[in-house]
Amino acid sequence: MLDISALSRAYDGTLVVDGVTFRVEPGRMTGFVGANGAGKTTTMRMILGVLAPTSGEVLWDGEPITTAQRRHIGYMPEERGLYPRMKILDQLVFLARLHGVDRAAAARRATDLLEHFDLADRAGDVLDTLSLGNQQRVQIAAALIHRPDALVLDEPFSGLDPLAVDAMAGLLAKEAGDKPLLFSSHQLDLVERLCDDLVILSHGKVVAAGAVDELRGRGPERYRVVLDGDGDDAAWIRGIGGVEVRDVDGPTAVVDLAGLSASALLSALVATSPVREFSAVRQPLSDIFREVIR
Amino acid sequence: MSITTSDQGRPDAGAKQSGVRGAWWIVAEREITTRVHEKSYVYSALFMLVAVVATVVLTSVLGGRPTDHTVAVAVTDADAAAVVASASRVVDRTDDGSSATAKEFASPKEAEQAVEDGDADAALIASHDGYEVVGDSEVDGTLSSALATVASAAALEGNARAQDVDLEQLQRGAAVTERLLDPESEDAGARSLVATVFVILFYLTAVTFGMSIAQSVVQEKESRIVEILAAAVPIRAMLWGKIAGNTVLALGQILVLAVAGIASMAAVGETGLLSAIGPAVAWYVLFFVLGFVALAGLWAVAGSLASRTQDLGSTTMPGQVLLFAPYLIAIVAGEGIKTVVSMLPIVSAMLMPSRMAEGGVPAWQVGTALVVNVIGAVLIVRFAARLYERTLMRTERRIGFGEALRLSD
Repeated sequence: MLDISALSRAYDGTLVVDGVTFRVEPGRMTGFVGANGAGKTTTMRMILGVLAPTSGEVLWDGEPITTAQRRHIGYMPEERGLYPRMKILDQLVFLARLHGVDRAAAARRATDLLEHFDLADRAGDVLDTLSLGNQQRVQIAAALIHRPDALVLDEPFSGLDPLAVDAMAGLLAKEAGDKPLLFSSHQLDLVERLCDDLVILSHGKVVAAGAVDELRGRGPERYRVVLDGDGDDAAWIRGIGGVEVRDVDGPTAVVDLAGLSASALLSALVATSPVREFSAVRQPLSDIFREVIR
Repeated sequence: MSITTSDQGRPDAGAKQSGVRGAWWIVAEREITTRVHEKSYVYSALFMLVAVVATVVLTSVLGGRPTDHTVAVAVTDADAAAVVASASRVVDRTDDGSSATAKEFASPKEAEQAVEDGDADAALIASHDGYEVVGDSEVDGTLSSALATVASAAALEGNARAQDVDLEQLQRGAAVTERLLDPESEDAGARSLVATVFVILFYLTAVTFGMSIAQSVVQEKESRIVEILAAAVPIRAMLWGKIAGNTVLALGQILVLAVAGIASMAAVGETGLLSAIGPAVAWYVLFFVLGFVALAGLWAVAGSLASRTQDLGSTTMPGQVLLFAPYLIAIVAGEGIKTVVSMLPIVSAMLMPSRMAEGGVPAWQVGTALVVNVIGAVLIVRFAARLYERTLMRTERRIGFGEALRLSD
């Protein structure tokens, strides 16, 4: 279990990460989202210890994380980096050995990972000669090469086509297993699909954190109503008390409950007009995101 | 396809930690294997090897190479053969292995013909009042005077005996012997040439591998892999690894050059030069390692200050100057300055052994240079390690030396 506790970082007196606190639970994928410059990368670099925090700390199983424990984190930095002129198998083995894996085990593991990405036949090629998508795959392999105890991945899906995203997500789910996994992304639909937990950062501060379902549930219950009457105009719904009408478009309205229960709303509706459709609306993550960073 | 999930081969936590402690060697190993696979490295090493062998061979050819003179004599003239045999000892006065051998011909005329045909270097032919040295277009000066001295001494001895004169009495006070005040400077020209060549090769090797350290660092910054490395191993382990790897490479190259130099000296028969220069070559290697290690830290800092390869030109300037200065001093400076500078850290690495090759350096100066170098190396590397740690992760732009000094840890 990875705890980020009141982590702050100032550059030239300006706080770019301000008292960030959240938990990355083992066995759950935690998405880390926020606008550009919100402080995601800075936070991740502090978790890995490549950047010193101005204040705050990182805890591993409740204790301040040690250097040795940090070395067991699989890390994929925002700015991709591998040796451009080194053979991909060689550099994976090199990185694994730096993490203390012996040469033979490192070679087996690297070969397995390359096979997973269908890159086994490119093992002897230098990184430079691979397509960008394949370089990205090697980069992920580099983060996984030493069977890390936790994963911190900065934008692991950027630059991948949808099929590659699926393959990568499948591999991450499998590799993470019961370990903590934190990844940042701009692709909210992807985060919504993959993540169990979510941390939203805005201007260096955590504005929302928790299970995705719980965050969704935090907003008002929302229903979509389609009337089947003659007038084809749902504007009159605004007259019902205990609800907030978000949008009306002809016979269709989107209504947030504000005190009234769903069945009471339905009763009020059918009392006035036939109803063709009455359905709960799951708020897309992007709405939650827009609301909390506002 | 699937990933095997077995934990086979995965070390336990304790083993992992010890692996991290040994990380510097893994970094060093990569430095070495990467470098020896580069064509530019192989070519420059070969070039230097050829340069060393060529220098030794040229020195030997241009300098006093042992010569075997062949002197044609008439078979009827037994005295002439004896004169040539004695002269052989005279031409080898400098112990360089030169000799003179008599080759007998049926008549003086045939002996002369042999010289004309190039079968003999000279002919020694009896004339009406002694001997005549016959050459083709010229006669080697050493050979000519040796033959003349021996022949006249032989004639003198014969005459003295014939007239019953005591030769010893006659020669009293006429003996002239030679005593050299500085016997080592006998082949000073060759020695100073060898010393200069070594200085140049050491300079080239130091710059080559120094730049290689700086490039290796900046390439990791440029490719951003430095972030992954820094998350995997302590930054100092990366520094030690780079210093160790490139020192091994540089030392390897220097040893190959030294062995090639000594082997080619032995091959061309420069045993005199070899025994004089040999110990200096050993000192060269020792001083080189000390000087290189001391400077290696600064090369790494030059790399970590840069953000792109293009920045290296300015960030490696201090290192280049430190290396070029002794090279320049070795060639142009006077004895006094050379003596002082040859005891300072880094710059002494080239100057002291080069002075030793020229000969006549007191032991205390060598000792001082060694001690100063060891202390200097330790201090400089420690200082460099701090700058390196402060600047390595700053990839956004080039940092000046002054700025790096002011940065906090």
